Amino acid sequence: MRPHEETISVGGIDVHAWIGGRGDPLLVLHGAGANRGWVRWIQQVAEHFTVWAPTHPGFGRSGDAEWMEGVDDLARFHLWFIEAAGLGRPHLLGHSIGGWAAAEMATMSPGSINRLVLVAATGLKPERGEILDVFYHSDAQLRDMIVHDPKTVPEWDELFGQPPTPAGLEMADRSREMTARLSWKPYMHNPRLAHFLPRVTNPTLIVWGRDDRIVPVECGEQYRRALPGATLRVLERCGHLPPIEHPDAFARLVLDFLQGAA
Amino acid sequence: MKLYYFSEMPHHEYPDAEGEKYPSLRLGFPNRFFDRAKAAANYQRYLDEYEYADQVGYDGLMINEHHSTPSCVNVGVNMAAALLGRTTKRAKLLILGNILPIEDNPVRMAEQIAMADLISGGRVLSGFVRGVGVEQWWANANPVHNRERFEECHDLILKCWTEPGPFRWEGTHYHFRHVNPWCLPLQQPHPPIWIPGTASPETAVWAGQRGYTYVPFLVPFDIARELFDYYRQGAAEAGREVTPDNLGFLICAVTADTRAKALEAGRHFVWRMGPTLRGPIEWFSPVGMRSRAGKQFALKARPRSLATLSYEELVAERFIIAGTPDEVADGFALVQRELGIGHLLLEAQESRMDHVTTMRSIELMGAKVIPAMARL
Repeated sequence: MRPHEETISVGGIDVHAWIGGRGDPLLVLHGAGANRGWVRWIQQVAEHFTVWAPTHPGFGRSGDAEWMEGVDDLARFHLWFIEAAGLGRPHLLGHSIGGWAAAEMATMSPGSINRLVLVAATGLKPERGEILDVFYHSDAQLRDMIVHDPKTVPEWDELFGQPPTPAGLEMADRSREMTARLSWKPYMHNPRLAHFLPRVTNPTLIVWGRDDRIVPVECGEQYRRALPGATLRVLERCGHLPPIEHPDAFARLVLDFLQGAA
Repeated sequence: MKLYYFSEMPHHEYPDAEGEKYPSLRLGFPNRFFDRAKAAANYQRYLDEYEYADQVGYDGLMINEHHSTPSCVNVGVNMAAALLGRTTKRAKLLILGNILPIEDNPVRMAEQIAMADLISGGRVLSGFVRGVGVEQWWANANPVHNRERFEECHDLILKCWTEPGPFRWEGTHYHFRHVNPWCLPLQQPHPPIWIPGTASPETAVWAGQRGYTYVPFLVPFDIARELFDYYRQGAAEAGREVTPDNLGFLICAVTADTRAKALEAGRHFVWRMGPTLRGPIEWFSPVGMRSRAGKQFALKARPRSLATLSYEELVAERFIIAGTPDEVADGFALVQRELGIGHLLLEAQESRMDHVTTMRSIELMGAKVIPAMARL
């Protein structure tokens, strides 16, 4: 099923979004890397759900939001997006910083979403280890650390293998700046979030890579303990990008979980 | 033309081979290589040198501040200004400068600068800087807000100095419910403000709009002229006239009894051009710190980084001026003719340049060079 692109105005900000598929709505929030669009796992999930994949303000082709100061702002914004786009009560899936935003949204308004999927989400301070400081490292260093093994990533060439264009570099710069705006201090976490997580009784699936070198798998455990209705699935031979590193297994996990919805 | 003496108060007191094992001498070079006994002795030495520079007739003493680096262990520029305010008699104290974007309490900064101005009898020239990226990391200040915080911190400091308290400040980055500093500068309405520049056209325009003294650091002459053009553009927008007193320039310089001795001493400046600036771009210019215009200008301003220039090239391009007093006077006069400046800042001690060499250079500058420059 081919997706289409739309620009949806929310609070005066033009939000670029990929939309496609059939079935109940699933809102997908991307990580700091980029909105990678209609990648393999999304194609599979879109066979059964209508996927809405907006680009965060300040990223990619969405408008600026230089006034935002934290992921809690981004979360409030995406709750507004749900209303503006008329999604009703969608399932919500977020990866990395998008997972953090999804967790914040669930604590703010658990009734606004159906089932919740958190993937390698930032947002909690690890009890052991640290979240890698992505601003401190070069792109080349990050590329080495972000996945378990590039050779096993089916879409590696298509997603990471092309030399960047000037426009692509500019967009990457802008996205990095927005990530810094949202997550610089405290770095990649909200010390208050854990206190609100018990409010979220929505069925929740947490997915992590065993070898995540960006956000330790410990954080997945912490989310599982704090969220009353959560299950944690840890993928072996997998780093920080489960949806990209193991797209078929990831899509299967997501579909099984969402199709168990009442 | 006025001359200013400047030392970064370096701490080059470790084996170089150790420093080379790390990606940079800044941020990540472990402080187990900090030698406390040597640092204690060096502070005394560096302050003695500043005091001597005051005695021989330097127009000003420039001090700066960095963090988490052996290249500069002057970690509190207002502390140094207060010390020199008490122990020197006549030279201006050029603080260049306080790093505004990493400051969380501009009111305290306004008080500290005022206190140094009072102690020194009104000799402070108050420089404000945006800092290098390393300081953003050190302070954990979001680099995306660097320019906004620079401007708001500046605005609040100026208000502390010029408007009667108490007042309230509810800004974007700073919030103070009760501002009423009981320490105001001796100079009225406030100490002159200086702004350095290396690559940011926006900063040059901003300084020009306000009539602040603007000083490019260690850039080629054509780039300095271009930055001065941006400065003039800002000044014109505000209807201000630009005189040589508004413009300065910074180079490295040392003199000695013979050309050979001076050229040997001048080699110590290479450390600040290369090894101390080595490191990942993410550390020196973190995400969002520079505007796109600033990034493009920086590339143009430094087609070759200083680190890639040989000592001979650094001398030929006058980033370093080293020679007999007559030779350095000629060199300074050339810089003055090229740039039309009223202030020349001399980074006059670096790396492992020893006390005897430094003191002799100060003495010769005082005896032979400063009088000649005063006539320009």
